[in-house]
Parts: sequence; C-alpha cells; structure tokens
Amino acid sequence: MKWMTKARLKSPWVIHFDCGSCNGCDIEILAALTPKFDVERFGIVNIGDPKQADVLMVTGPANKRNQHVLKNLYDQMPQPKVVIAVGECACSGAIFHNCPNTLGGVDKVIPVDVYVPGCAARPESIVDGVVLALQKLQKVSEGEKVE
Amino acid sequence: MIDLASPYTYATITLVVLSPVIGGILMGIDRRLTARMQSRMGPPLMQPFYDVIKLWGKEPFIASSLQPVLAFGYLGFSVAAFALLAFGQDMLLMIFTMAIADLCLIVAAFNSKSPFSNIGARRELIGMMSYEPVMLLAAISIFFVTGSFMVDSIYEINQPLLMFLPLTFLALIPILIIDMKKSPFDVSGSGHAHQELVRGIYTEFSGYTLALVELGHWTKVALLLGFASLFWAQNIVVGAALAFALFFVVLVIDNSYPRLDWKTMIKTTWIVGFLLIIANIAGLIARMVILS
Amino acid sequence: MNGDALIALTVGFPPLAGLLCYALNNKTARRLIIALTAVVLIGSSILLYQDGGFEYEPAPIFENMVLVLDLALLVYFLYAGLKNSNWLVIGLAVLQLVPIAYFEFVLGGMAVAPMIVVTDLSIVMSLIISIVGSLIVVYALSYMDEHEHHLHIEKSKQPRFFFFMLLLLGAMHGLVFSNSLYWVYFFWEVTTLCSYELIRHDGTEIAVKNSLTALWMNLLSGVGFVAAIFIGYAFIGSLSLEELTKHSAAPISLLLFATLAFAAFTKSAQFPFNKWLQGAMVAPTPVSALLHSSTMVNAGIFLILRFAPAFRGTALSYGVVLVGAFTFMITAVLALNERVSKGVLAYSTIGNLGLIILCAGINTPLSYAAALTLLVFHSVSKGLLFLCAGVVENRVHTRLIEDWEGLLAKLPTTTIVMVAGMLSMFLPPFGMLIGKWAAIDAISSSPTMGSLIVIPLVLIGSAATTLYYAKWLGHLLVLPQNGKELGEERLPLPYSISMFGLLSLAIVLGAGMSMVLGTLILPAMPAGYYTYLTGGLFDVSTGFGSFLTYPFWIGAIAIFLIGSYIAQKKGGVVKPPYVSGENVPGNPEAFRTTADTQVPIQVSSLFMDNEFSSTRVLSYGVIAGALLVMVMFLTVVL
Repeated sequence: MKWMTKARLKSPWVIHFDCGSCNGCDIEILAALTPKFDVERFGIVNIGDPKQADVLMVTGPANKRNQHVLKNLYDQMPQPKVVIAVGECACSGAIFHNCPNTLGGVDKVIPVDVYVPGCAARPESIVDGVVLALQKLQKVSEGEKVE
Repeated sequence: MIDLASPYTYATITLVVLSPVIGGILMGIDRRLTARMQSRMGPPLMQPFYDVIKLWGKEPFIASSLQPVLAFGYLGFSVAAFALLAFGQDMLLMIFTMAIADLCLIVAAFNSKSPFSNIGARRELIGMMSYEPVMLLAAISIFFVTGSFMVDSIYEINQPLLMFLPLTFLALIPILIIDMKKSPFDVSGSGHAHQELVRGIYTEFSGYTLALVELGHWTKVALLLGFASLFWAQNIVVGAALAFALFFVVLVIDNSYPRLDWKTMIKTTWIVGFLLIIANIAGLIARMVILS
Repeated sequence: MNGDALIALTVGFPPLAGLLCYALNNKTARRLIIALTAVVLIGSSILLYQDGGFEYEPAPIFENMVLVLDLALLVYFLYAGLKNSNWLVIGLAVLQLVPIAYFEFVLGGMAVAPMIVVTDLSIVMSLIISIVGSLIVVYALSYMDEHEHHLHIEKSKQPRFFFFMLLLLGAMHGLVFSNSLYWVYFFWEVTTLCSYELIRHDGTEIAVKNSLTALWMNLLSGVGFVAAIFIGYAFIGSLSLEELTKHSAAPISLLLFATLAFAAFTKSAQFPFNKWLQGAMVAPTPVSALLHSSTMVNAGIFLILRFAPAFRGTALSYGVVLVGAFTFMITAVLALNERVSKGVLAYSTIGNLGLIILCAGINTPLSYAAALTLLVFHSVSKGLLFLCAGVVENRVHTRLIEDWEGLLAKLPTTTIVMVAGMLSMFLPPFGMLIGKWAAIDAISSSPTMGSLIVIPLVLIGSAATTLYYAKWLGHLLVLPQNGKELGEERLPLPYSISMFGLLSLAIVLGAGMSMVLGTLILPAMPAGYYTYLTGGLFDVSTGFGSFLTYPFWIGAIAIFLIGSYIAQKKGGVVKPPYVSGENVPGNPEAFRTTADTQVPIQVSSLFMDNEFSSTRVLSYGVIAGALLVMVMFLTVVL
C-alpha cells in the first residue's frame, strides 16, 4: 500500500537509548532536535516509549549489564522498525571494544540497520543516518516486512 | 428530534462522522503554530494524519484483550458527545458522555500493571475531577441566559452568548488546557515530544490502539472548540474565529509555562473557573434585578 | 385482593415468618420460609400498587398492641444501656420512655383516624422494601453460611439474624403505611432495634461498641419524634399525618417539621450524625445492604418527602437543602481517602441520601421527581454493590480496595456484576445519573438565589464521586499478564438470584426510564406538584433539557460491539508493561532491579493521604454539620 509506506516515511518516531555512552553523541542527537536542525519538520518526534517508536537510536557500547535492557527495548518495539547505531561506540565499541565488561558494538545484541560513525557523531551525520534508515524502512515496507 | 427529510440533517451527520478529521487538522495547525512560536519550521499540516495511518499499520501489541475495545470506546463516545453537540442536544448529557469517553481511556490505562500507565490514569482522573465541575457550571451559566440546557436554544437568543457570558468564555481556557494536554496542566500524559511519565496514560498503547486514542483525542478537541464557538452562534465565521482565538491563547500559554503539579491544577482550575463563572452569573442576576 | 389483607401481609407476615425461623432453627425450613416470605412480600406490594392508594382503620386491639410493644421496646433499650453502662443510651431511652408513658397514661394519648393510609409514595417505598429487601434476605442465606464457616462459629446464630432481618422488613412497611405520628415513631424505633441487634450480631468488641453508637444516635432521632408528638398534641391538635402534612408556615408547624427533619437526618446519617453508619459497616454485609443502604436509611428520606409539601417555600426548606448539599459534598471528598471498600460504599450512601434530601428541600415539582428517581435507583444500585462487596470479601478475605486489584481474573462473574453496579451509580444511561441530571436541572431552575451556593457543592461532590468510583473500577479490571485464562466462578443460587436480579432491575428500569416515570414516580408526587419531568419515546425531558434513553443504550452497545469487532480483526499480542527495559523474561508481572533480583510490579492506589487528613476533615465536617442543623432550627423563628 503506497499510502501506508508514505505515512511510515513521513512519521518516524524515535526512541533514543544510551547504552553507557559518554553522552557526547547524546548531546548531538539532542542538538538535532533543536530549532537549528529541527527534525520535527520531517515528522520525527522523540517519543520515549518503545511501544510507540519506529526508530531506535542507540549510543554507547553494549555491555553485559545493559544488553538485557537493550534487547528488551528492541523486542518491545512493534514492526516495522529500524535501528541506528550512533557514534563509534555503538558501531563497534570504539576504544572500549576489548574492555572486560563490554561486548562491543550494539550489533552484538540487536540487528543494526544504519551505522553513523563519529566521535561524537555530528548532527548532520545523524540526520543523514535517519534518511538512510527511512530508505531502508521504505524497502521493508514495500516488501512487506522481510524480517 | 432528527428530521430525516432535511438536508441539514445529513450535513450534520457528515460533520459528526468527520469530527476526528476536523480535530486532526486542528492538531496539525497546533504543531505548526507551536513550532513557529519556537522559531522552527514545524511539520506539515497533514502530519497528524500521517502519524495515525502509520500507527494503524504497525504490528499490533496490546496490553490486554480489553484495551482495544476501551480505546475504541474512547473514540466512539467522543464522537457521540460531538453528535450530541452537533444535533443541538442537552449540554449536560454531552458533558456526561465526554466523561464516559475519558473513563474508557482511564480504565484502559489501568488495565495493565505498568506504573507509568497507572499513575498517568490517576492523574487523568484528577484532571477530569478538575475540569468537569467547571464545564458543568459553564453549561449552567448558559442555562441562566437561554433558559434551557439544549444547545438548540442558544441559536434562538437574539444576542450572541459572549455578550452575556464573557467570563464563562474565559473560564473555558483552563478546561481546554487540561483536555488538550498542554502545559501547565499536562500532568497525565503530554503531547508529542513533551514526555511526562514516559507517555503517561498513553504509555501502554501502541499501534492501532494508539491510533484510536489519537483519533478520540482529536474529536475531544474538536468538541471543546465547537462548544466554544457556541458563544457566537449567530454567525458561524465569528464563532469559529472565537474558538480559534481560544485555541491560540492556549498555545501561547503552553509555550510560556512549564508543567505544574496536579495540586496546582485542581486549585487553579477550580478557583479560576468557579470564581469567574459565579461572578458572571451573579452579574447577570444583578443586571436582571436592576433592569426590572 | 383485599386492601387490609395486603397490609397485614406486608406488615405482619415478615415478623411472624421471622419468629418461625427463630423457633424452628432448621436450615432447610429457613430457606423455605424466606423464599415464601419473598414471594408473599413482592406479590403483596405489586397488588397494592395495582390497587392504588386507600385508607384503612385496623381493629383497636392493634393500638393497644403498639403501645405495649413500644413501652417494652423502650424498656429493652434502657436495659441495653444499663448492661453496657452507656450513659447516652440510658439517658436517651429515659428521655423517650418518661414522656411517652406520660403521654399515654396521664394525657390519655391521642386517637387518629384513619390509622393506616396508603399513599402512592408509600407504595413506591413498599415496592423498594419488598423487592430489594427480599432479594437481600435471600442473598443472606448463602452469605451467613459462608460467614459463619469463615468465623468457625459452632452454634449457628442465623435464626436470630434472620428474625431481625425479617422484622425489619415488616417494620419498614408499618412505617410507610401508618397515618399516626405515634405509630410511625413506634415502627421507627423497631427499625432502631433491628439495627442495634444486627450490628452487634457477631459479638466482637468493636461490633458491640459500634452498635451502641448506632443505638444512641438512632435514639436521638426517637427523641426528635417524641418532641414532634408533643408539639402535634399540644399545639396543633392532631397526630394524623394527613392533617400535619397540610401546608403551613406557622412557626409552631415549622418547629414540628424541623424536629422531624432532625429525626430524619439522624436516621439517614447526614452530617453531623454520620458516625453510626460508618461504624455499622462492621456488621455482616447483608445488614449493610439491607439496613444501611437500601431500606432503613430510606425511612428518613421517606419522612422528609412526606412532609416536604408542608414546608414548601419556607426558609426551613432551604435549611434542609444546606444540610443535604453539605453532606453530599463532604462525603464525596472523604471517600477519596477511604481504603476500606465498605467504608467507601458507606460514604457513597450518606452522600447520595444527602443529594435526595437536598432535592426534597428545594421542593419544586422537578426536584421532588428527581428525589424520587434517585431514591428508587439508589436503593437498587447500592444494594447490588454491597451484595457484590460481600461476595468478594468472603472469597478473598480482605476489605481493602488495594487488595482487590486484578479481581477480574479471580472472580470474573462477581467482578463484572460489581463493575456494572458501579457504572450504574454514576454514568449515563443508568437511572442514578438521570436522577442526578434532573437534580442539576432542578437546582439551576429553582427560584432562590441560594442555588448559587448549592450548585458548586453538588458539582464538586459529583466530580469526586466519579473519581473514587473510577479509581476503584480501574483497579478491579486489571487483567492477568501471565497468559492465564480467567478463572471459573460458581455462584450459589441465592447469590445468583439476588445479584442478577438487582442488576437486571437496574438495567431494565434505567432503559425503561420513561415507563418508570409514568407508572411509578409521577403518580407518587404530592397533590399540586405538576412536574415537567416527562418520559417520551426516546428521552426523558424536564422542559429545560432532554436525556436520551433508548438511543443512548443502543449507541453504547453499538460502540462496544464495533470496538470488539476491531479488536478481534486486528488482534494483537499481549505484551508485558513498559518498566524501562527491566522486564523479566517469563515473568511479566515483575521487574529486575539491583543485584538482578526480581521484584513484583506494584502500584498503590490514589488516596490523597498527603493532601488532607480525613480525621481532621471529618471533625470539621461534624462541626459544620451541627452548625447547619442549628441554622435549620433558626429558620423556624425567622
């Protein structure tokens, strides 16, 4: 249904989860919501509730404690959904990748659709990442839930 | 009561069926205006409709088997209340029907064991307790002017209601703030991007149940603004402008004030609402006594 | 059937049946006798209704019987006071005994003809007492078995229990049919006896203590009656209700009405006399249902309604309004703070009685009709709620609302009936709300300026009512997350008959409101009260507004059907609640916390403990109530 896909692309609701990040990437995500970048004009809203969100933005590396929470949040999101790993730590663990408590990047716990590199990732990259995620969402929606 | 021969009836039925749509357009205007007040561009006017369509297409997760039925109950009774308004029926019955709608939402939120949902539902109950007496009192003040509780009778007086009940019109502001879930009284669950208790009373709704709740919310807003437009029932354009002015004032207040707590909500709504309306009624009675 | 035979059946049969129950002391015999009594009572009331109003003069032997029984009763109260060393009871019993003995033996008493007058209002009361009362007594058959089993009582006290329950039904009928103020007073005190004996039935320390409180407060109402009898004898020259209820604004008549209003307030537990009803909740639930919500407390209402046409338009009428309005508001607010289920229902009862008294005090035809509507529907709905509360209490052994969370899973049938009962108390399209709506119309359209004071009280009370019922409702309907199916529940026959009977009554009467108006309520209006409250095909109209009946029911059912259809079509997976990602896999009702321990998710209910203290509000309320009653007496001289 083309209008369903169009609606999904026009209204991606975001839940943002910090897996133990230094908050650098979180601040940049917040900056993307401010009037200067104004992502709300694309229909993006930071809804805090996984049950109502389409996009999961994760910062920080996955570790042994928060893997349960991360998995739980991912499971509580209804399909269709996309995951964006924001920042180096979420992509691969960055400088913490071989610490005893970290598992590495977020993709060790949940399937990631878009990787946004940077330390900290810049708002422009984050917005770019969201656009890529929406393109993936469109493919998923038109293929009617491949996952 | 309903004249099936008149085309006016069919126009009213269409209006009732489309009441969520009207509410949706109002919500779109709301988000756009709010954004402009915050020096942003804001989403397109049709954004709420994109949201609801997307929600309808999500994988259905529910909190319990009762939740979707009650979510539809919220929408259904809101539309029923709007129908009562549109067909010129009893104002008190309309307000009680709004109460049933709210109650469906509240019980749906209580239905799951989530703490956020529960506390949001409790605060919504307190919100209902705050605005319901004021709204009933507003209906009673209209009764003092027209001599009837039927909405129909407002069309029959020769001067607009605003001339008689300016203070009652102002008392609609706190009611609208609570019902539209705007600051300072959005304690039970706020609009998008303002999180309160995660999403407060809406926390456990997702997918199509949230879509139904959103539609119900829009209908309630349309209902309240429709009620406000009755204050200049003689001219539909002026009435709509009045309602829009009220809507605008609520947006300005929303952007100026932070969220306050529920105790302040009850106190402010009751004191402001009761004082304004009783002063208005007393003024009317005094005027009647002086003139006679 | 013969009018006097019907009177004999409704007044005399229940106590005799009670005596038989007491004497036979056999469970099967008891069940048969009570079933028979129920049939006789309901049948007689319906036949009385068909016959319409009439007068009747019983044989003189009954007058002597009443005198002897009355004095015996007062002596028994005196004895009860002496046995428990309760000076209030002793004092008030003496305060009644001495004047009554003086009245009858020294002054010679006062004859009234006719002794029995059946008015349309009495017939409405009789129907309520017979139908609701009988269903409650039937319910008690199962309840008392479970109650005594739970308390491990060896020697059953049920014969005594049912004797007093049935005695009450007979006494109430006597009360509503009597034309002599002295007879009304006698039956009034018999209901006091029943209340005292039934509250202290369990014999625990708190039961005895609360029964004595109930006794002295009800004796206070009896003293009011004695004063009224003396005023009637000495200054007005008649004890006939027909004479006394003729309209009069003379101060001495107003004083009579004020004392009777005082008696009514005490019996109906208005502020400042609310304590005894709240204390009476320690009694077994059928007692609460029968006496303290749907039948005995209606005696006060009946008295005020009977006398309302007499003090119409006087300042006294407004004094009555203030007491009722204040009680309605303050009980609604206090109920927010109450944690015990029967306590909430007690507050709700007192409040709704206040609303009815308020309507009676406003004394316009519309408000009188509203008062009658509220009376009928309150008796049915409140009785139903108490019955359900009793069943729940017997099953889960706790009375706290917070502990009743998730009851829908454990006791589905009872919970659904209880939920329906609660909805019938405060939501359209049920009859209670039609009454409240008509009351708001009546208050707004009443000619006094004072309605501006009363309206906010009623609105605040109404809003608080919605809050405390909705909060309770929400907690009851929490569904289990564990994927367990709803439990099965088997209700014994007496429970099914009484609960489903009352529920059907509430629904049928509410849906058929127009017919109820035409056949029951409007005929019971006093002469000269031409009301605008009419029942049309689709709605009930007051002339100021219109309340849809059938269309609303059809709409509501349609909404739920469509909702169910959508729910079925879209379906959905039941997911555990959101607890910030710390759900425990496999246990949807717990969350993970420090050291990976699992804690069950618990949310307590809203009681506003931090915002106001109910003990303090109660004491201020009692003081305010006392002041308002004094104001009411002052209006007599103004």
